[in-house]
Amino acid sequence: MSILTVDELVQHFPIGGSKSVVRAVNGVSFSLDKGETLALVGESGSGKTTIGRCVLGLIEPTGGRINFDGTTLGRHRTVRSPELRGKLQLVFQEPAESLNPRMRVFEQIDEPLRALKMPRADREAKVRLAARRVGLAESLLERFPTEISMGLQQRVGVARAMISEPEIVVLDEPTSALDPTARAEIIDLLIRIQRELGTAYLFISHDLSAVRHISHRIAVLYLGKIVEQGPSAKLFAQPSHPYSVALLSSVLLPNPRIKSGGKIRLSGEIPSPINLPPACYLAGRCPMVIDRCRETMPPVEMVADNHSVRCYRHKEVSELDKDFDSFARFQSEADRILGAGIPEPIKIGIPENAGDR
Amino acid sequence: MSEAANSETMDQTVAEPLLECDGVYVTFPRYGAEEAVALRDVSLTISRGEVLGLVGESGSGKTMLARAIMRLIPQPGAITSGSVTFEGTNLGELDPEALRRMRGRDIAMIISNPRGELDPLQTVGQQIGNVLRYHLDLNSKDVRERALDLLKQVSIPDPQRRLDAYPHELSGGMAQRVVIAIALACSPRFIISDDATSGLDVTVQAQVLELIRKLVSERDTSMMFITRDIGITAHYCDRIAIIYAGEIMEVADRGVFFDDPLHPYTVLLLAAFAQNERLRRYWLGEDKVRENSGPSAVGCAFQNRCVRVQQRCLAEHPVLTEHRPGHFVRCHFPVERP
Repeated sequence: MSILTVDELVQHFPIGGSKSVVRAVNGVSFSLDKGETLALVGESGSGKTTIGRCVLGLIEPTGGRINFDGTTLGRHRTVRSPELRGKLQLVFQEPAESLNPRMRVFEQIDEPLRALKMPRADREAKVRLAARRVGLAESLLERFPTEISMGLQQRVGVARAMISEPEIVVLDEPTSALDPTARAEIIDLLIRIQRELGTAYLFISHDLSAVRHISHRIAVLYLGKIVEQGPSAKLFAQPSHPYSVALLSSVLLPNPRIKSGGKIRLSGEIPSPINLPPACYLAGRCPMVIDRCRETMPPVEMVADNHSVRCYRHKEVSELDKDFDSFARFQSEADRILGAGIPEPIKIGIPENAGDR
Repeated sequence: MSEAANSETMDQTVAEPLLECDGVYVTFPRYGAEEAVALRDVSLTISRGEVLGLVGESGSGKTMLARAIMRLIPQPGAITSGSVTFEGTNLGELDPEALRRMRGRDIAMIISNPRGELDPLQTVGQQIGNVLRYHLDLNSKDVRERALDLLKQVSIPDPQRRLDAYPHELSGGMAQRVVIAIALACSPRFIISDDATSGLDVTVQAQVLELIRKLVSERDTSMMFITRDIGITAHYCDRIAIIYAGEIMEVADRGVFFDDPLHPYTVLLLAAFAQNERLRRYWLGEDKVRENSGPSAVGCAFQNRCVRVQQRCLAEHPVLTEHRPGHFVRCHFPVERP
């Protein structure tokens, strides 16, 4: 059962003093189930963040419908409306900038509960529980944000978003400002919280190794259109859109023998969303472009269950490289090299549903 | 160009280090407290034509090392001990004028955030020209020609027009190419790239990395490639050094480094990419309650985050030792593999 459905979402921003508009989102449809993670991936300017803001009702879409838990979100029903307050939450990109420098950690986490007008007596226990859930030591609750590291700051951001037990959390590049180890810790934390609470995540990111780890499904965005959407493992193993291939090939994994398949290299950079290409948006950069790509926008085609793509030549693209999944190859290397360093007698608590991802 | 004494070393067949850092300490005095040590006993050599990857998290001292080499430590910090030798010359003995002549001509730097660093009021051509005019005795016609040539080398589309463009008219990827062009302007023999690709989108980052690698190998330039992303170094660097809390923790050639990482911190960095529960649980210490724990001043700097910490690590400061030929590690208990 979908908790969120987005249907043909369009978001255009006017440019002051000009008749042209920035076409940030151009007809995006997806749905999100309870307890599921959908990743929106794409480069800057692809409309990822704008979609997240529309879902939260922070900006009103130019067109299309957003349906949350059976009701339509719109002008008068946003994340700020009393009946929706606390049900949709957001974790920001820059942990330092999204925390109030004059509030102690305790107050930061407590803030959503105050907005929900929860009595003081109940709040304290809840804040302590939330802090424990994200692995923050008790002693840190009385600190100010500037006194703790960036990884810890982001844990505060996560605790604050989770404390109202939301149905959906929009995670807007929650790891991109962090160091790799802190990044991995936050991803692990988010996965664990999702298992415990069943929260649905809309995970906006361009960090593909994190996306691979956390998401169940992926939607690849290019200039405000979803070019490919499908189950995470399938999309990483056999992408069917040239842009997905290029995006996944540019990931550099820390092993010199594991080269990403470089069968498709895009030339140039993402065009301006003010003057969109007339037909397929990727036509100007795609090495597999044919005349038809410049004439009409390719329709959405289903290549498998839950796997759709917008490309005339998707069959050829998906057959370019049988051994495309560099992530999978890296995992077996990592097991061999890093696993060998773990001393044998070690207690491993295997959590339920381990290996689900 | 360089001093006569150096020409002899160039003829030697043995790979003579181009740049050598020997026991460099950088400290910042603090009022009413012990001085802060930004770099501690950093010893590194970089040979001709070699690309060394320097990996560390924010605050580990990566940029400080770049600045120590360039002699651009921000006040009131200072190099309190150790030396940096470039082509046989101790850079600490050069006067400010000689250093200015060296920077940009012999040693150049590619900085991150190109749009913030380029002068918004000068055209691309002027900014490239500034370097050329200062170091090489060229007239303005030659300067323009050289600048155009450089823009072509960094594969900027429509270079003739970009020469007269201002930085705000460039995209992030193009601005980064301009910064690379400026760094290459005087054909330096050593380039420091400080997180040069971090602000770029992944597909553009791939293009820029390919470009840097190509230009460096064509010109037989040496490079120090500073980054937070250990994944990049696996594909674009010959040797990798890990820095933590101002100390070099591990150095090895690429092949050995990724196949047999010795320091627990290196393994931690690599395990962040793994998706195996067992690996993540052990190396990343999942489920651990986080305190605000920075590097330790006594004993091993990494002890607070190390999963294998033992009594000896708390008391005794480890030294960088050659565990195997060419593979250095600063750890009392390096990771053993059967």
